[in-house]
Amino acid sequence: MDKDELVEYFRTQVRQDPEVPSAVAAIRTLLEFLKRDQTGETILGLRENLTQTIRRLEEADSSVAVSSGGELFLRFISLTSLEHPDLSQCKKVMVERGELFLKKISLSRSKVAKLCHTFIKDGAKILTHSSSRVVLKVLESAAADKKRFTVYVTESQPDSAGRQMADKLQNLNIPVTVVLDAAVGYIMEKVDLVIVGAEGVVESGGIINKIGTYQLAVCSKAHNKPFYVVAESFKFVRLYPLNQQDVPERFKYKADTLKAVEDLAEEHPMIDYTPPSLITLIFTDLGVLTPSAVSDELIKLYL
Amino acid sequence: MGSAIEAKTHKNMPGADKEADLTERIEAFLADLKRGGCGTGPIRGSGETARETTALLRKVTAQARWSSAGDLMEIIRKEGRRMTAAQPSETTVGNMVLRVLKIIREEYARSRGSSEETDQQESLHKLLTSGGLSEENFRQHFVHLKANVIEAINELLTELEGTTDNIAMQALEHIHSNEVIMTVGRSRTVEAFLKDAARKRKFHVIVAECAPFCQGHEMATNLSKASIETTVIADAAIFAVMSRVNKVIIGTQTVLANGGLRAVNGTHTVALAARHHSTPLIVCAPMFKLSPQFPNEEDTFHKFVSPHEVLPFTEGEILSKVNVHCPVFDYVPPELITLFISNIGGNAPSYIYRLMSELYHPEDHDL
Repeated sequence: MDKDELVEYFRTQVRQDPEVPSAVAAIRTLLEFLKRDQTGETILGLRENLTQTIRRLEEADSSVAVSSGGELFLRFISLTSLEHPDLSQCKKVMVERGELFLKKISLSRSKVAKLCHTFIKDGAKILTHSSSRVVLKVLESAAADKKRFTVYVTESQPDSAGRQMADKLQNLNIPVTVVLDAAVGYIMEKVDLVIVGAEGVVESGGIINKIGTYQLAVCSKAHNKPFYVVAESFKFVRLYPLNQQDVPERFKYKADTLKAVEDLAEEHPMIDYTPPSLITLIFTDLGVLTPSAVSDELIKLYL
Repeated sequence: MGSAIEAKTHKNMPGADKEADLTERIEAFLADLKRGGCGTGPIRGSGETARETTALLRKVTAQARWSSAGDLMEIIRKEGRRMTAAQPSETTVGNMVLRVLKIIREEYARSRGSSEETDQQESLHKLLTSGGLSEENFRQHFVHLKANVIEAINELLTELEGTTDNIAMQALEHIHSNEVIMTVGRSRTVEAFLKDAARKRKFHVIVAECAPFCQGHEMATNLSKASIETTVIADAAIFAVMSRVNKVIIGTQTVLANGGLRAVNGTHTVALAARHHSTPLIVCAPMFKLSPQFPNEEDTFHKFVSPHEVLPFTEGEILSKVNVHCPVFDYVPPELITLFISNIGGNAPSYIYRLMSELYHPEDHDL
C-alpha cells in the first residue's frame, strides 16, 4: 500500500467521523496497511514497514495522540509475534486481535465518562480548556444524570477552539460562558473544579495538552481547586519530559508549520506540558488513577 | 420472626437450626452496626467489626447453598449490600466483603489452573493481548472450592487478628528518645503503637482532646497508665503547640483510594498545622481500613450526629435562631500525609493505588 494512499485513508477516517480520536484513526489505518500488505516476508520487515508508515502519518498529523497510537500498535505487533512465529498465521491473529482492540477502545470514552460524572456535584461550576471530546462526553453524561452545573470554557487561542466547545455545550442545554485565556486567574475563585482532556499522558503522570493547560493547572493549585484530567488509555505515551523544553519539537507545532518554517523559535507552540504535581486525578478507561499509577500501567505494557 | 424459626425447626432439625442461627447472628450484627453510629465512636472498634464481618461471611460460605463460584459471589454481594446499607460510614464492613470476593476469584482461578491470577486488573497490556471478549462467568463447579475458600478466609482472619501487633512492632523504628509526639482523639492502633515504643524509649505525648466527644481524655488516661508522660490540650491550642512537636501520629477511620483520609473531626486542622511547621504526619492504619472509595460523594461522606454535644438542648432560646452542626468526620488530602504505617509495613500515600489493586478487584468496587 502506497504511503500517500495511507495518509489519504487516515484523513478520510477523520473527515468521515469527526468524533473519532486521532489515535484510533491512526491504529485503524495501520491495521488496514497490515491487511493489504503483501510485500512483508518477515516480521522484522513488517515492523520496518510499519515504522516508516507511522513516521509518514506523523508528518501528516503531528499530534502526540498519533504517535502514541503508533507506538501502541508496534507493541501490539511485537507481543503477538512473540506468540506466533509463523508470519502468515501471525498476520491472521494480528488482524483478528486488532479488530477486537479497536472495538474495545471505541468504548473507552463512554467508560471514562461513566467514571468521571459522579465527581460533578449538583450546582458545580466547572472550568475547562479548549475543545475536548472526552470532556464533552463527561459533561453530557452528567447532564443526562439530571445534574445542574455551569461551565466556563477558555477561548483557547490561536484557533478559538473554546468557542466550538461552547456551541456544542449550548446544544446540550448546559449554561456555558466563554472566558479569555488571560481571565483564568480572575475566574478561578468562582469555579469548583477544573476538568481538562489530554492529547497525551506521559510516563511521569503529567499531561501534554493544548497550550494554556499548564497555566490553568498552576492557577488551580494556587486556589486549591481539584484539577481532573480525562483521557483514554491509548493516549499513554513513553515520554518523560522534565520541563517545557523537553517536549519534542515535532509535537509542539502543527505538521504544516514543521515543514514550511525554517526557524521554529519564531513560532507559537500549540501544546504544553503539565507536571503531575499539579494534577489531582486522572480518569481513564482503566479506572481512576493517581498520577503515580500511570507509570505502573506503562511499565506493565512496555517492559 | 420467632414463629418462623419454630416452623423451620419442625421440618428439618439440624440444617434449619444452623440457618436460623446464622440469620440471627447477621440480624444482631446489623442492629449493632445501626446503633453504633453515635459520635463517641462505634460500640466496637473497627478491628472487631472487621473480624465479625469476616467470621459471618465465612459462616455464610459454609452454610449457604451454592454450586459455583458465581453463585457464592452473588450471595456474598447480597449480604454485603445489606451490611453496608445498615451503616454506610462503617467502611470496614464493605472492605471485608470486597476482600472475600477477591479471595473467591483467586481460588477459582487457581482451581482452573489458569496462570492469569495476576492479570485480573484492566491494563493496556491486557487490552492488546487478550484473545476474545471472553467474560469470566465463574460457572464452573469445583469440588474443593468451598474448602479452599474457607481456608483462605481463615488466613484472612489470622491476619486481622495480628494487625495491631504488627503495626505496634514497627514503633521503635519511628519513635526516638526524648521526642514530643502529638496525637488526636482516641485510636486503639496508635495507643498500642505508643505503648510498644514506651517499653524501650522515653518520650512525651501531647493529646488533642478532640471536642465535642473528648475521646482524647480516655486516650490520655490509658497512655498515662502505661507510664507515658501525657499532656491533654484543647483543639484550639493545636497550632500553638505544634512548633514544639517532633512528630504527629494519628489513626484514621478510613483510608481512601487517592491516599486521603476520612478521620475523626479535627484531624485536618492537625494536618495543616503539621504541614505549616514541616512536621511529619504518620498515619497508623491497618490494611482493612483501605477503601476503594474516592472523596467525591458528598452524601455518603459526611456523617452528622446530634448537635446536643455542641449546643445543649437546654439553651432553648438560642436554638431557634442558629443552625448547629456536629460532623463526625474530616477529609485529609493526601498531600499532607508523610507516611502510612500498616500491618505490611510503611508506605507513601502515592503508593496506595498499588495496595488497593492487590487487595480488591476493580469489578467489585461498587457492590
